Amino acid sequence: MEALVGEGVTRVDALEKVSGAAVFGPDVKLVGMLYGKTLRSPHAHARIVSINLEEARKLPGVRAIVTGADLSGVLGGEAVKDMPFLAQGKVRYMGEPVAAVAAEDEATALKAIDLIDVVYDELPVAADALAALEKGAPLIHEGLENYARIGVIKPVPKSNVITVNEYSKGDVEQGFRESDEIFEDEFSSQTVHHAPLEPHSAVAQVDVNGRIVVWAPNDSPHRLRKDLADALHMRLDRVRVISTYVGGGFGGKGGLKAEPIAVALAMKTNHRPVKVVFTREEVFQATLVRHATVVRIKTGVKHDGTLMARDVKIIWDTGAYAEKGPTVCSQATAAAAGPYRVAHVHLVGHCVYTNKAVAGAYRGYGTPQLAWACESQMDTIAKKLGLDPLELRLRNVLREGDVNPVGHPVHSVGVEDCLKQVAQAIGWQERRRQPRVTEKGRYVGFGVACGTKNTKTPSGSEAALYLSQDGSLTIVTASVEVGQGVRTILAQIACGVLGLPMENVSFSQPDTDSTPFDASTTSSRTTFHMGNAVKIAAEDLKQQLAQLAAALFGCDVNQVVVDGGKAWLAKEPERSLTYPELLQKQYGAGASMMGRGFYYPKSEQGKAFHGSPSLFWMYGAHAVQVEVDPKTGRVEVTRLAAAADTGRPINPINCLQQIEGGALHAIGTTLMEELIVDNQGHMVNPNFHDYRIPTAMDAPEILASFAEAPHREGPFGAKGMAEIVTTSVLPAIGNAIEDAVGVRIRDLPIRSDKVWRALKESGAATKRK
Amino acid sequence: MKERSVTLRVNGELHVFNHVPVRKTLVQLLRDDAGLTGTKEGCGEGDCGACTVLLDGEPVNSCLVLASEADGKEVLTVEGLSREWELHPLQQTFVEEGAVQCGYCIPGMLLAAKALLDENPSPTEAEIRGAIAGNLCRCTGYVRIVLAIQRAVASMSRPR
Repeated sequence: MEALVGEGVTRVDALEKVSGAAVFGPDVKLVGMLYGKTLRSPHAHARIVSINLEEARKLPGVRAIVTGADLSGVLGGEAVKDMPFLAQGKVRYMGEPVAAVAAEDEATALKAIDLIDVVYDELPVAADALAALEKGAPLIHEGLENYARIGVIKPVPKSNVITVNEYSKGDVEQGFRESDEIFEDEFSSQTVHHAPLEPHSAVAQVDVNGRIVVWAPNDSPHRLRKDLADALHMRLDRVRVISTYVGGGFGGKGGLKAEPIAVALAMKTNHRPVKVVFTREEVFQATLVRHATVVRIKTGVKHDGTLMARDVKIIWDTGAYAEKGPTVCSQATAAAAGPYRVAHVHLVGHCVYTNKAVAGAYRGYGTPQLAWACESQMDTIAKKLGLDPLELRLRNVLREGDVNPVGHPVHSVGVEDCLKQVAQAIGWQERRRQPRVTEKGRYVGFGVACGTKNTKTPSGSEAALYLSQDGSLTIVTASVEVGQGVRTILAQIACGVLGLPMENVSFSQPDTDSTPFDASTTSSRTTFHMGNAVKIAAEDLKQQLAQLAAALFGCDVNQVVVDGGKAWLAKEPERSLTYPELLQKQYGAGASMMGRGFYYPKSEQGKAFHGSPSLFWMYGAHAVQVEVDPKTGRVEVTRLAAAADTGRPINPINCLQQIEGGALHAIGTTLMEELIVDNQGHMVNPNFHDYRIPTAMDAPEILASFAEAPHREGPFGAKGMAEIVTTSVLPAIGNAIEDAVGVRIRDLPIRSDKVWRALKESGAATKRK
Repeated sequence: MKERSVTLRVNGELHVFNHVPVRKTLVQLLRDDAGLTGTKEGCGEGDCGACTVLLDGEPVNSCLVLASEADGKEVLTVEGLSREWELHPLQQTFVEEGAVQCGYCIPGMLLAAKALLDENPSPTEAEIRGAIAGNLCRCTGYVRIVLAIQRAVASMSRPR
């Protein structure tokens, strides 16, 4: 029974991917397809005075041109409806789409957009969140309070603040009064990009009935359908979305990116499909980025290290449009105090529009920036109190049944185990026996950190399973394979329940016409939510098979056992019938059987989107060993231990893949990556030679493990984990650098020039014993 | 735009492409005209390596090679790695070792690895990392990709 659950079976999508057969977004090709290109704003903030399309229209091969004027009143956005498909009246960031062309081939489309003449009237620019908060700052969205929005979003009229989200527990002032020591620090983080290898793309077609069909590497087909339908004031069934394989997402492949441009063009091409594939420059400028943040954190502690009070204020630079920025603010701010028991807590997040690339979901949904602040400060506290950094954390971490910083009792808490695992793997207790300076004159340091993340709550998932007459199974869900291995996980759950071999399984393509509703393939929610839906569907099939067997055996359904691909009378196990035999005996002319599973978590506080306490919390920890060259400030992570709390893992290898990959991704965030924007809002480095992500040469030895804290409501005790795998890498590296050379870097990324300058100023490395 | 005809041997088969615009890149020709979409384009600027193919046995970023430059040459793409239904040892170990996540970098990664092993049948880990340093992967941390290449080395060196 359930033998497959918990096994590291080979991924079911691997064969397609090593053979080049897997179809990603840019691989979609339809008969009569046109190619679309986009003219983008060179300015970060400007009024559009005029757009002249005459020359472009004359170019042979051009079939459609579209501008914001064609889409008056069309505004999209999951949380706040503020974003036009193409700029209307003004542009708010460099790279914003202004016009688009569909032509017979890409070269013609490119030539045509060059022929479009746009006159702009430049406006003052708010190039970062602090500037956008100043009195007299240019207003990026006049009347932002009038936008349609979901309940948790609380805009501040006549400002650039699209939401303020606040959480309180106890009385922080009392907590500070009762503290022996108080620490106040400020940390900041930079804008980074998901940088998936597959660029964003979409193919759209409008059929003769006016129905829109979109093929896209989008992580959430049902959500995209709703985004498009709502923006265009259409019924949901009038839009069909088919998701391809996604060539890397990390949060950046949801919502409206290439899709609205392809749709806008397809509305004017007389039913011919239009394909839009972004260039790498467009991916960097005009899809999504991670929020730059400023975090002010004040913590009160007792001499023994007990955390008494924590007050955290976060400023989220959300860029020119809301996208998922406000929900990052509302959700992540709740996680800002870390995975600790703290009696008195006050957390407040301000989500601020700026004239920059749109910020939103990015693996960890804001928690890496928060852990950067919280966990860096934990080391400052440990140092002042004379405590080992690991010990300070272990004294305060949440354990089963504790009340978390936002006032909710927690269940399934693996953070202590994660900390102990990474400490063991890196050699934490023995670290002082290592030479502190290498033969090359580099200083060696160790750092540890932990983190936590919530999942969006509540949200629903539905699955269908088709059992065919030959005993094969088709798993029909809208969960998208973005590289996380979801197909394998869902197959293990379905086959585990039904006792079928994995070879018997096929998968539907996510398609809003045929695959039931799923909120999204995001928020590390799929194993938990869709996993539950598939489990329920498989149990439904089993029940139907039992009823079929009971009818054939002429007995009560309770006397039938269904398992391992067979059904039998409990007292006569030798007279079993296989699933195909059952179907054949009852429906000789052919039939299939459908199992249905719907999962929507029970909610304590309302059923609204983002309206409830997190269904589950993720926990993780990292420990690193670094070497710092005092002559150059260069930091190298030489070893990294990473652990995540997986609940009971459905597939341990899949979990390790996430933990390993996330670790290197976050080393890039910490040491290498930064999207640089000048004071006029111009992005300086939108390409892979100036925006460097880690290569195989940048990877340290990675020691990955997982802690199992089974969740009572997860399928077989499993829970999500794919976003916690980066969260605590950032502060672990910062802490290790301080351990190595005695300087504390407070602004990401930790470039060598910052370390070098800090060393110069402090003289710390040379003084250090 | 100027056009010319391009003759290529792709995965062992002879292809003649007429009216190829001279500005067309090899990756575009392979994907759009030969229908071989296994080769991926990630940046179009030679930075990411997703479009790596072997041109007369040498790994190249096919986004930086003009289709007309490849005229008369032999191209190996991911579709040509396996013979009939038998996977190349690298494909086999990439599957078995869990080297594949989103999969977008994998075709280029496999060909970069093949080029290495053709040249150096018993590379060190550092040599493996060096050989794939031009192939970016955002998912895996390269951990299992390196392991898979090492296992392929072991399986290929075994006498058959």
